[in-house]
Formats: sequence, C-alpha cells, structure tokens
Amino acid sequence: MRNWLKIVIILWVCLPFAGIADEKVGDHSKYVQHVEQGYAAIFQGDNQTAISEFETALAIEPDHYEILHYLGMAYAQEQFWNRAAESYQRSLVLVPDNIEVLYSLGVVYFKLDKWTDAVPALERVVELSPQHARGHEMLGKSLVKLRQYAEAVPALTKALTLKPQAAGIYQELGTAYLNLKEYTQAIENFKKALAFGPGRYAEPHYGLGMAYLRLGDREKSRAEMQIYQQLQKEFAEYERLTRLTRAEPDNLEAWTGLATLLMNQKNYPQAIQVFQKCIELAPNNANFHHGLSRAFMALNYPKHAAEAAERAVQLMPDASILYNTLGSAYAMQGKRRNALVAFQKAIELDSEQPYYHLNISKLYQSFGNQKLAQEHYRAYEHLLSEQKAKQK
Amino acid sequence: MNTFYPNRKRNRNSYFSVIARYLMLLLFPGIAVFAQDAEDMILISAGTFTMGSDNRAADERPMHKVYLGAYYISKYEVTNAEYYEFWKQQAASEQGIPKHTPENFTHLPQIGDWPERVKQFPDHPVVGVSWHDANAYAIWKGLRLPTEAEWEKAARGYTDRVWPWGNAIEPYANTADSDDGYKNGLAPVGSFPKGKSYYGVMDMAGNVWEWTADWYSDVYYWHSSQAFTKRPKRDPTGPAVGSWRVIRGGSWIDKISRCSTTFRFYLYPNLKTSFVGFRLAKTAEKTSK
Repeated sequence: MRNWLKIVIILWVCLPFAGIADEKVGDHSKYVQHVEQGYAAIFQGDNQTAISEFETALAIEPDHYEILHYLGMAYAQEQFWNRAAESYQRSLVLVPDNIEVLYSLGVVYFKLDKWTDAVPALERVVELSPQHARGHEMLGKSLVKLRQYAEAVPALTKALTLKPQAAGIYQELGTAYLNLKEYTQAIENFKKALAFGPGRYAEPHYGLGMAYLRLGDREKSRAEMQIYQQLQKEFAEYERLTRLTRAEPDNLEAWTGLATLLMNQKNYPQAIQVFQKCIELAPNNANFHHGLSRAFMALNYPKHAAEAAERAVQLMPDASILYNTLGSAYAMQGKRRNALVAFQKAIELDSEQPYYHLNISKLYQSFGNQKLAQEHYRAYEHLLSEQKAKQK
Repeated sequence: MNTFYPNRKRNRNSYFSVIARYLMLLLFPGIAVFAQDAEDMILISAGTFTMGSDNRAADERPMHKVYLGAYYISKYEVTNAEYYEFWKQQAASEQGIPKHTPENFTHLPQIGDWPERVKQFPDHPVVGVSWHDANAYAIWKGLRLPTEAEWEKAARGYTDRVWPWGNAIEPYANTADSDDGYKNGLAPVGSFPKGKSYYGVMDMAGNVWEWTADWYSDVYYWHSSQAFTKRPKRDPTGPAVGSWRVIRGGSWIDKISRCSTTFRFYLYPNLKTSFVGFRLAKTAEKTSK
C-alpha cells in the first residue's frame, strides 16, 4: 500500500513537468507551422503575410538567426527599412559574422542614407568573402555617397571584375572618376554604363555631359544633356502615369497615355500588358487592339499580332491603317495571299499613304510580279516626296 | 519502428528481391550494396554542357559551357524509407533525440511526423532535413551531394531544355500550379515518368527542392563562364565560402516557372523545411574501382 502511495506521489510531482514537455513540443510544432507558412508567403511574393508568420514564429522561438534574416528581408521588400535593420541586428547578435546578414544590413543602412554605418558592415562582408560582388558594389556606392571617391574606385573596380557587365557599377565608377577629375576614364565608364544598361538609361548621359563640359567640349556636352533632360522628362511622365493608374485603376486616359509612352520607348513587353488592360476596360476600342497588334509584331509574335489586328478591323472596318497592320502581320506569318488582300484594302480606303504602297510593292516582288511591284514603288516615292514638300 | 520499408517504385517484385538482397548482404556485403547503387544511379557521361541562361534571372547569366567528368546521379530523390535506414543507426547510438532526425510537420498531415511518416509514405522524398543531414546521409552511403553543375547537367541534358522533359509547360511535375494530381503535398518519387530528364533522371522539376553541395553566389555563373578562361571550366564546385547552400528544381509549393532546369535558389543549410529534400551523386571513376 505504501508503495502505491509513493507511485502516486511521484506521478503527481512529475505531472506538471510532463505538461511542460508536451507544451514545448506543441509550441515547436506551432513554430514550424508559422515558419513554413512564412516561406510559402515569401515564395508567393506576399511579404505582409510572411512578416506576420515569421514574427509569430519568433515570438515562440526567438533565437533563430535565419528566420530573423528572412523577416528582415521581408521588411526590406516592403521598404520598412528601420524594422529590417532591427531584425538583421538581432540576427547578428546570434551570428556576428554571417556574410549575408551583414550584407543585408549594409544595404539597409545605405537605403536609410546611413553610409557611415553601411561601410564597416560591407567592409566586413568583403573581408569574410573576397569574391562577394554585391558586397564590393555596395561598398563602392556607399563610399561614393560619402564622397570618398579615391577609396570607392578600387571597390567598384573589384566589383566589376566579378560582375563584368553591371551597368550600375560602371555608372558609379564613372561618377567617382568624374569627381576625381579623371575625365577620360569617367567618359569610358559612362559609355560602358550605356552599353550594358537598360534602354532609356538617363544618368550616364548626365555624367557624359559633365565630363565633356569639364574637358571643354561644349557641343558634345550640350547634346548629352539634352538627351538626359528628355529621358528625365519621359521618366517623370512614366512615374506620373504609373502612379495614376495605381491610384485609379479604371482611368482609361491614364492607361492610354502609359501605353503610348511605352510604345514610344519601345518597351513592348510592358506595352502589351498595358494594352491588354486598356482592352479590359474598353473592349470595343479598335485603337487598343491595333496598338496591341503593333507591340506583338515588334516582339516578333506575328500570330498574336494578326489576331489582335483582325479584331481591330472587325471593330473599325473603314480604317485603312488597320488593314495595313493586318497585312504586315500576315506577311510576317508567311500568309502572303491574306497579306495581299489586306494591303489592297488599305490602299482602296486611302491611296495617299506612301508606306501602304511600299508594303504592297515588297509583297508583289515576293510573288515575282515586277510590274506591279515597280508601279507601287513609284507611287510610294512620289507620295513620299509630296509629303516631304508639304512638310517644308 | 524497426521495420524495413522497401521502396515500392524500385522494388516492385519485391519480397523475393528483399530476401535475396539480405542473403547477398550476408554472403557478399560489398557486392550487394554495389548492385543496389548501380541500379538506382544513372551514369552521366563526361563532356561539356550548357549551363545557365541569358534570358531568365540575373544569377543564371551568362549561358556558358562547362566540362564535367563522368559521374553518377541517383535516379530518384532519397525517400523516407531510405533515410529511415540511416536514421535508425543514429537512434541506436545517440542519447535523447537522435542526430539527423527530420523535422515534424504536424500541421501538414499529408507529410506528417517522423518516423510515423515512413510507414505511411515510404516512397515519398524525405523532407525536413537540413543540408547537414543530407550530407551526413550521403557520407553514410559512401556518396556525396551533387554539385550545382552536376545537378544542372543531369536536369537539362545536352539540349538546353527549360524543363527536364522539354521546353513546353506540361503537367509532368508535382508543382503548385499544375493539374498533376498531387495538390498540396508530396508525390511518391518517380510518379511522373514523362517528366524524366534527357538522361532518365526523375523528378528534377517539382516535388522537392534538392540540396546541392555548393554555396550560393549570385555571380558564380560568371566565374564558371568562359569569360575568365579560354577553355570551359572543368568540374566547378561553387564558391569557397557562403551563407546559403544552393537548392535546385523547385517543389510542390512552387509555380512551374521556378522549377526550370536553370532556376537557382538558396537556403540556410541548417533549415529543415517541408519542401527541400535531396538526391545523391558520385564520381564515376570511383564507382568503377
């Protein structure tokens, strides 16, 4: 009987500990669940959910440097720079020499304009990992911001050996040389920035303008500055229209303006998306289908271009230009008979457009009909010269 | 949990073969293990292949030639049943929680807790294993994890395929956005025979991301490209240091665009998730000895 009593007492004493153990296991399961949901959210680009899931996970188990890093990255994606910095700092308390966390912290300090704080973090990155291209790049950029141009040059040069076609690094290096009054090297780097950079890259033109000016070549400087101003104007307009379409998603005028701007910039992939949005808002507007067709054609998607042009023609059967576009799309597809019918219709509706004649002339030539090809070519030349004379 | 769980995909006619294997193990242990390995591993012949892509993510650039010596890569991802054999030995030698115990996913009953899931899903790829667990398993098997280059060659072959089976989007992989029959969970390894790679390697797209031996660097492809050397880089092994290990192939929680043969991703090596597993490799010269 006394033995039974002992067992009961022992069990009674142990029971709360068993409870704690169970609770810990349960808590860890919850931690795993939140972390997993955080990953899934990040993979789907849902940073807000990722932040919430990682924060909940860290409230259960706070000492996971990786999750603190991912939380910081999610904050950074949402541009909550101070919170991102805080997460990275907490992570670094646990693993002071983690290269990627140090790099992330350096980037956040850069974004917060805390360049003096960014430099030591990034210096540590490249010390730990000498081949860390992004580390050298950000270090160089931070030093440029701090006007330490002589120190920036080796960092950026090293970054370029690791990332040889990075336009942004050439731009920074050009800026550093410009401020060091080494204009020839500055020009060389700005030119490379333009060569490797995206279309409509404005900043290198400004750098070139300044470098030519300092070298005394006013004509070249003026030309570069004009390009820069034009691109800046375009960029400002793009920003305005993008903001407007975001604030007013049904503003057809804004979408139309954006589509026109993108076509002018030859940014056809984005133009397609914008035309598709325009069509969603105004499905019976032939101009949008026409624009979509031209964008598809520019990207060498003749089938899609022809489909869009066919729809445009259905909606506006008296517009000659639509037939001309349709004919071009057919011609690209190799459907020469269909193209011929479309070009003939375009000329029937408006025989004064020189390029309709040029297109049909090329088509007749491909058929071997030299007589008609020459006839239309002559019409093209005649109309073109007339147009030029009128313009004068 | 001392039961041996034969892998259903690989040993279909199998009670006899399991008994035969045990007999072989007793009589000629080395030969028996070798026979099993040879059956499950695919020889990738020596030669150059195209690594990376010029028109996808920045860290996949540039497209360049790389030379790899002959190597073997496992036809399937390592399964629960296979990993269990390794884990069992850890359990026998350690106090408390055994080393290399996979993470539990109580909230995902379709994946479940370890080791219960071995019984329920013996042919599913093992998940919830860190890079260190995967590496320890590989060493235990006398093998290693594939390098990033080896993984990519085995996935895309000589024909620069976007996905292991070709360039068109097909439901030949367990992904989040395709009608593949495995929504919200893992599929048994080898469930998509049409999704095999040029070399016949299975599940190189989707199901689970796979740990590779290499550290991640966003400019690694520049380094292994011809831009720095006259000849294609030979057997590149990634950067010397890093924070993240490379994972490849995409998983059941990813869209198919992330499951391409060139898409690169990375994870902290000590993380154990429900969407990362691994497969094994070995250098061919060593095998032939």
